[in-house]
Amino acid sequence: MPMFQRILVANRGEIALRVIRACHDLGIEAVAVYSEADRGAPWLDFADQTICIGPAVSAESYLKIPRIIAAADVTGAQAIHPGYGFLSENSKFAEQCRASGIEFIGPPVDAMDRLGNKDKSKTVAKAAKVPTVPGSDGLVHSEDEAKKFARQVGYPVLIKASAGGGGRGMRVARDDASLASGFHAARTEAEAAFKDGSVFLEKYLDRPRHVEVQLIGDQHGNVIHLFERDCSLQRRHQKLVEESPSPSLPEKVRQEMCAAAVRLAKAAGYYNAGTCEFLVDQDNNYYFIEVNARIQVEHPVTELVTGVDLIREQIRVAAGEPLRYQQKDIVQRGHAIEVRINAEDPANDFRGSPGVVKTWRPPGGPGVRLDSHVITGYRVPPNYDSMVAKLLVHQPTRAEAFAVMRRCLREFIVEGIHTTIPILKTIFDNPAFIAGKVDTTFIERELMPAKPS
Amino acid sequence: MADDKRDVPRPFDVRTVEYLLKLMSEHDLAEIDLKEGDQRIRLRKGSAIPAYYPAPLAVSQPVSPVGGAAVSANSTSAPSSNEPKAPSTSTPTKKLIEIKSEMVGTFYTKPDPKKPDFVSLGSKVTPKTVVCTIEAMKIYNEIVAGCSGTIVEICKSSGEYVQYGDVLFRVDPG
Repeated sequence: MPMFQRILVANRGEIALRVIRACHDLGIEAVAVYSEADRGAPWLDFADQTICIGPAVSAESYLKIPRIIAAADVTGAQAIHPGYGFLSENSKFAEQCRASGIEFIGPPVDAMDRLGNKDKSKTVAKAAKVPTVPGSDGLVHSEDEAKKFARQVGYPVLIKASAGGGGRGMRVARDDASLASGFHAARTEAEAAFKDGSVFLEKYLDRPRHVEVQLIGDQHGNVIHLFERDCSLQRRHQKLVEESPSPSLPEKVRQEMCAAAVRLAKAAGYYNAGTCEFLVDQDNNYYFIEVNARIQVEHPVTELVTGVDLIREQIRVAAGEPLRYQQKDIVQRGHAIEVRINAEDPANDFRGSPGVVKTWRPPGGPGVRLDSHVITGYRVPPNYDSMVAKLLVHQPTRAEAFAVMRRCLREFIVEGIHTTIPILKTIFDNPAFIAGKVDTTFIERELMPAKPS
Repeated sequence: MADDKRDVPRPFDVRTVEYLLKLMSEHDLAEIDLKEGDQRIRLRKGSAIPAYYPAPLAVSQPVSPVGGAAVSANSTSAPSSNEPKAPSTSTPTKKLIEIKSEMVGTFYTKPDPKKPDFVSLGSKVTPKTVVCTIEAMKIYNEIVAGCSGTIVEICKSSGEYVQYGDVLFRVDPG
């Protein structure tokens, strides 16, 4: 398959700009689609052609498959890059693209289906001998059964009401005694609260870290990893900060996790970019949770430490080229950190802050990268997610990366909208984070409610 | 002040007013009414002199634009940041109904190269009258007028591709 002449970007904001740039770096034309809310948006100036595909509401524009495919058809685009979010993990969309003779820049449909489903992916993982969060695989009916399972997986365990939800109906048991009392209590409570006393057990991961492995495969069966990213700093399951390498992750565990991720991808017949997510407990045991079958927001972290342009590789792979790199070519150099900057007001429960950006003066200097679609005068629309920029630093050591990030956050001037920059400043002064000892509960435990500095 | 150096025109900026006046004469607009946030500017030319809407073909009577499509329809014609929207203006003369595309595809004025056009200037339409087809992925979708009146303007040429929101026809409901 020859290289594409024209690619349609089915997304908006910073990732649309990112893909347009990658296309132009390869001498490929870029077609950008936009909704009426994004009419006149700055990244559209760089596209070779633009097509309006609908009103502001995403369901009628960025998620409107027929119009997007029609846009590719009328502009002669040979491939569509879905970015992240929107239709990027919609296997029906991928299928329709390919059925229409348009390449979907992403994984094959069946791999997307298999790995996109939490349940199915666990099956694939188990078959590939990738550790998953151990569960009782069904209801537990007696204290003895519970004890048996707990001894098998090791304490602590989580007793969960199967009819529960929203964090309710869960109890942690740390030994046989607390398991016995906890089991009975949980059943009684569940019966009272949910009219259903059924419980099951799962290994309880106490304050885990979120560590994910970047993968890329080609259509010739080659799959490589590009090491890991630590994304433990999250608020309500939204990532705030990501870094690579993961601090305090033993090298042996890193190598095992990366190898496991590659095994999983190969077992699923996966190609193009994807990320394998794991939870790592305090004892450095890792457990597979899910695969993100698309390029991710935080991909630049990996690009900085490995020197690989992932979007360019995605395009090459989709055009049928073999991977440019072999596993031995991939090395982590230095330390990279990304912060997501959102148009939100941290002082008001992170309420969205749309509006006109009156001043936009981003930082710079060696090893500083900004991925953003914003320019002075840009009106942040209220219709989409609030991320306005990704600020990254890449330095020889983690300590230097922190120093540069602190300086960048101080240098960054934004007026006209609220941003999460103040809370990020607080985070980079936090001793636990500086020591590399944080987990996924950290933000909510330590920093909420936080006063911006 | 940092503000003065930006290229974004504000409603009460002389440069904006000059730019708008230029737009008005280029497109023969009688009136522009622009709003951005809580700022608004409205410019009206002369007194009751009807403005002729630019069209490639003859127009049967003087009309005023509805919906401000001329100002905001083309995303590349304006300053680099988001354009302010131009809401419809009320004028003493007739309003025209715009038939807008809700699809992306190729616009055709006839069902078949050998057959005549669905409609032409002066054609009377009712809501169910087929006015054109838009083709996407080899599927031809018949587009109905959705309104009643007379076709006074055909805004796209057969074979041209259209986007969501593009004005295809203007209809005089009178």
